[in-house]
Amino acid sequence: MAYLAILMRVINRINIIVGHVFSWLAVGIFVVCFWVVIERYFFGNTRLWMQDLYVWMNGAMFTAVAAFALYRNDHVRVDIFFRTASVRRKALMDMIGVLLFLLPFMYIVWTYSFTNVMRSWARFEPSANVGGMPGLFVLRSFILAFAGLVAMQGIAMLIRSVLILARREDLIPDDFRYKYETE
Amino acid sequence: MDPVLIGEILAGLMFFGVIGMLMLGFPVAFTLGGTSLIFALIGMQYGVFDPSNFGALAGRYIGYMTNEVLVAVPLFIFMGVMLERSSIAEQLLLTMGKLFGNLRGGLGISVVVVGALLAASTGVVGATVVTMGLISLPAMLKAGYKPALATGVICASGTLGQIIPPSTVLIFMGDMIAGIHAQVQMSKGNFAPTSVSVGDLFAGAFFPGLLLVGLYLAFIVFKAITDPESCPATPVAPEERKDLGREIMTAFVPPLALIIAVLGSILGGIATPTEAASVGAVGATILAALRWRLSFGVLRETAVATATITSMIFVILFGASIFAIVFRQMGGDNLVEEFLTRLPGGATGAMIAVMVIMFVLGFILDTFEIIFIVIPITAPVLLGLGIDPVWLGVMVGVNLQTSFLTPPFGFALFYLRGVAPNSISTMQIYRGAVPFVILQIVAIALLFIFPGIVTWLPSVIYGN
Repeated sequence: MAYLAILMRVINRINIIVGHVFSWLAVGIFVVCFWVVIERYFFGNTRLWMQDLYVWMNGAMFTAVAAFALYRNDHVRVDIFFRTASVRRKALMDMIGVLLFLLPFMYIVWTYSFTNVMRSWARFEPSANVGGMPGLFVLRSFILAFAGLVAMQGIAMLIRSVLILARREDLIPDDFRYKYETE
Repeated sequence: MDPVLIGEILAGLMFFGVIGMLMLGFPVAFTLGGTSLIFALIGMQYGVFDPSNFGALAGRYIGYMTNEVLVAVPLFIFMGVMLERSSIAEQLLLTMGKLFGNLRGGLGISVVVVGALLAASTGVVGATVVTMGLISLPAMLKAGYKPALATGVICASGTLGQIIPPSTVLIFMGDMIAGIHAQVQMSKGNFAPTSVSVGDLFAGAFFPGLLLVGLYLAFIVFKAITDPESCPATPVAPEERKDLGREIMTAFVPPLALIIAVLGSILGGIATPTEAASVGAVGATILAALRWRLSFGVLRETAVATATITSMIFVILFGASIFAIVFRQMGGDNLVEEFLTRLPGGATGAMIAVMVIMFVLGFILDTFEIIFIVIPITAPVLLGLGIDPVWLGVMVGVNLQTSFLTPPFGFALFYLRGVAPNSISTMQIYRGAVPFVILQIVAIALLFIFPGIVTWLPSVIYGN
């Protein structure tokens, strides 16, 4: 149990760091996009690679942060029954959800994108736009990062469920427990 | 049994299976993807699903990740979160309250107007209603408003964000409908169709939004005249009014100017929604800085909130892609087409059927799940029957907004219940929502009878 708890904490830590780092892309998106607008309307100048840049930043941001959002319980749930359920029942529902939905979903995303991403790497695929950014293969790799990070966070959720069902809630850090608040 | 029939039965079962599974309470995005995979597996046993179809996934995902139009979503969310975290939104409401406080019903009017201006930004019903509830419910109760009226006003104004531009819901809907519209026109042999854009949808939603705000305001005025007890005036002391002029200039004019600039540049056809959204995000940050509210902490919080909300929405889209691939491959599209085209009443009948289905789904699902599942499977048929794409998008928005307000299941009511004090009963919240639901139905009927309310402005601005 103690080892499981350590694994869970390590996964949480990784996704917290990834989440905080890639959240800054939100600021990056509006800075670059705003600059593109200024250049276009006031200097009559357009740099095509910059037009790719802010769009790609969004793609990288929402894929990289997805697992962090899962850690923070920011992914919406239909909580008609979930909200009022006991902690043990919530743990059970999450366990079923991870095993039945989350892990198979991420497995399919990983398997069926893998060759696509590798092919893109093999030819160092650039943007489809003329004069655009190089390195579309890097952005494509974020699909795999998404699947990997979310699957890892799913495993952390699974461990949380196991700990709760084994009555070892004491091993779960405060910020990863089910909250009793109205949300 | 005929494999086509098996496929269609499975596709139909999958639609209801997904809704049933969502009740488990596991995050929507993953339930959507996972349940579809279970049905894909069953389909494989019967030879009606070929897993090589999932090869299209990476292409779809990279399509969303490089979609320029959809970048407007994080930008508008950033703008909304920044206005909220730097308490600009709160100040705006308080100042409006002082401005109209001497009038009966004045505070209610302020809530509707501020809701219309600010609610737009995130498009996530829960978040907006919670924010509005936390800020304005205590103020209205303190002023002596009847709880039912106060909660009704908040729920209605909080859901206005669904429809009033710049709403993130309209951005996604515009992007989806634009693609479907082009396909439908191509299949009809029209190879140079007029295009539909997010800007069209924003323009189309403008007057319906005003119509709803107007109906809400008229209702509050009506209450103030017929039932003065329900919304008393809040006398503002003269010394408080002394600085009102200056307060209006600092708290009221700047955010208003920002929102008008952003909306105006889109509706005026000067900027694309994404460009305007970046100006909005920069503007909100500057407003926060001018008020000394922009710390490193606020910026980081805003960035994290923006990133996680954006991610939450896009991952639902990822899950819905799996659903769409499986549903289509098993023949679900034909099923939907047969169902919709065989209804009596032609295009109108089909439209009403889709609206009713969405309305009912609105009791259990939030906006994004509904539009990501329902629009791709029904819009091709509806547009094929000749329904105007912009009108369709706006009708869906108003319809879902109504659904979120309708007792006993309406989402907005649940969320407000969560932040309302216990002294307010759930029954009062329900009762407060009823008149607004009636107003919504009036608005929907008007839009149905006079589609020009929607289509006139885009036709003038974009000339199609």
